[in-house]
Amino acid sequence: MLLDTTPATSGFSLLQRRQRGALRLSGLLAAAIGTMAIAGQQGDPSVKRLPAAGAANGALTIGAVIALTGNANLYGQDQRLGIDLARRWSLSQAPQRPLRLQLEDGGSDEATAIAAFNLLIKQGALALIGPTLSQQAFAADPIAQRRGVPVVAPSNTAKGIPQIGHFISRVSAQSSVIAPLSIAEALRRDPKVTRVAVFYAQDDAYSTAETLIFQKALAARGLPPVTIQRLQLADNDFQIPITAALQLRPQLVVISVQAVAGGNLIRQLRELGYRGQIVVGNGLNTPNIYPICQRWCDGILIAQAYSPELNTPINRTFLRLFRASNPGESPSQIAAQAWSAYQVLFEAVQRLQARGGLEGMGLGQAREALMQELLSGHYDTPLGPIHFQRDGEVVQGRFYVAQVRMDPGGRTGRFELVRNASAPASAAPAAGAATSPPVPLTAR
Amino acid sequence: MIESLLQTLLNGAASGGVYALVALGYTLVFSVLGVINFALGALFSLGGYLTYLLMGGRISANGALPGWGLPLELPFPLALLLAAALTGLASLVVEKLAFVPLRRRNAEPLLYLITSLGAGLVVVNLLQMLMGAEGYAFPASALAGLPAAVVVAGARIRSVQVLLLAVCAAAVLALTLWLERSRGGRALRAVAEDATTARLLGINSDAMLRLAFLLSGALAGLGGGLIGVSISLPGPYVGIGYGLKGLAVLVLGGLGSVPGAIAGGLLLGLAEAMVPSGASGWRDALAFAILFAVLLVRPSGLLGRRLVEKV
Repeated sequence: MLLDTTPATSGFSLLQRRQRGALRLSGLLAAAIGTMAIAGQQGDPSVKRLPAAGAANGALTIGAVIALTGNANLYGQDQRLGIDLARRWSLSQAPQRPLRLQLEDGGSDEATAIAAFNLLIKQGALALIGPTLSQQAFAADPIAQRRGVPVVAPSNTAKGIPQIGHFISRVSAQSSVIAPLSIAEALRRDPKVTRVAVFYAQDDAYSTAETLIFQKALAARGLPPVTIQRLQLADNDFQIPITAALQLRPQLVVISVQAVAGGNLIRQLRELGYRGQIVVGNGLNTPNIYPICQRWCDGILIAQAYSPELNTPINRTFLRLFRASNPGESPSQIAAQAWSAYQVLFEAVQRLQARGGLEGMGLGQAREALMQELLSGHYDTPLGPIHFQRDGEVVQGRFYVAQVRMDPGGRTGRFELVRNASAPASAAPAAGAATSPPVPLTAR
Repeated sequence: MIESLLQTLLNGAASGGVYALVALGYTLVFSVLGVINFALGALFSLGGYLTYLLMGGRISANGALPGWGLPLELPFPLALLLAAALTGLASLVVEKLAFVPLRRRNAEPLLYLITSLGAGLVVVNLLQMLMGAEGYAFPASALAGLPAAVVVAGARIRSVQVLLLAVCAAAVLALTLWLERSRGGRALRAVAEDATTARLLGINSDAMLRLAFLLSGALAGLGGGLIGVSISLPGPYVGIGYGLKGLAVLVLGGLGSVPGAIAGGLLLGLAEAMVPSGASGWRDALAFAILFAVLLVRPSGLLGRRLVEKV
């Protein structure tokens, strides 16, 4: 009998105990969630008020996420220098609201860039510069967009970057505006070209976007590629794709890959006997390719958004500061764009401050106000005069075509300006546009 | 047609030679210890960086000692051999730290995998810390006197690839002869066959094991130096990809088989070279599909022995 009843009684009290346990657990969970929400609210830097401009801690933080490690580090070195020079220049401008630069390594992959964005946003950065690669931007920018943090991309050229959201902008003109210029120059030099080989890294957002632009520019001139060799970002031995392409006797080779692979590809192309013209994309727009492809870099054509020969006060200042730290060298486009990214943020903050717009503001409001101010301004940068479209796309008036000239030792060289291109007012494409109107070329 | 076929064969042989070199490194350790040394890819990277430094290369601005370099400037062949020897010694350190403690405890083979992987990561991260993550290119003078490329019956191949193939072939031949003909080589094979019996016959199996690690590291270091001069050093992780390919070759050729490692390396290289240019994006996928197909037909690999469990 006991055996019959005990389970029933026990079952009843067990049920009650379980109900009470569940209630207690629910209460604890609710309390924990509430505590976390309050703690999270208190930890959210966007609700904090900005310090007064004159206060000891009145400097506002600008975060920079650039590639200091990994393959993209070749660009990161130039960017770090460009941003640092801009910071030094800004200090000489007697700023009403000082800025503090916080540099984080964005690596060369998406995960590291995301982690750096999260860290800087959590630490209360007013705005961000970066990341280095378009591939990283597609992963990290949506985080800044969700958190309402302005981003200025110094080197992302793939289609669709500013269209990620209204907090995202760039000072690096889209590939579709620049890339076709070097094709035009190559065909101007040799109008008899009929056979073109294309190489690109198929696992990289920038390379795939840029090669489409190159291929459209070629198709528009009735030159469909005789071969398209798809590479991987991590590839460095190109004997197989090169010999496959050379069997088709190309007269022009067009390359869209990142710097290290690109340097190796050019070297191996030349070693395997290719003597025709080589047009490269923005990925090789850094002097850091010189030690890799050495004397074989000589003669490659590249379209650029910057020329050291631009004779404006701000570019002369940039050159002076650059050459003080790098005697005898000329800055790269990447360094000039990094300077410009910092400069536009600095000037937008100073304009806001001058109007008293930042005093007493919460960080979240300040970020929103900064983004509006950034997009409404006009800036005289080392790139030339620039401003932004409403979607954050840069509008730039001047572009260039350069040719790499290596020194006799083959370890150093320079980008020699061969052609100026004045962009019409409509040169910057509308959101989503794949190609730009043709840009007239003028011989230097 | 013949020219095109020859070009494919040369391309495949050049890539396959390095794969075979790495696979041989795996084979040596696997045959005597029955486990895979996952640190071999990192030792490959180390060999490349050591060759660079021994040739007078300087550490870049992002390294721990910017602008620092060794106070010597060895010619490439000497730097390559010395770097291979030093990598062999580094391999001994890996053995001491990642393998010996587990062997003393008679640990499961899976644990060797974890410790060797960890040792490899430590090596790669140390390289990154000391040298920075950027690419390093060997000076063009490294191969001064050699033409940029040679033409063999209409097929072009870079001279550095010919050199790479020749050094790989020489290393493989020397190792095979040593294993077959020398007293030490025969002792190593005896330990690989049956360590207990070899010990009863008076062979110091621990010494043979250390020798296997030394040779395995030296082969990886040789591969790293050769790849460095061929395609530069794109970063400390350069060896990881070659390590993975070498591992695939080890399985393809047959675990523990020296001829299998050579055949597997060449087969994988040729498979990559035979991918038509229109499908170049599928090169790795197609090469590994061949590996998969071979293993379906011959689960023990091309020249591997079927494992028979004694009961």
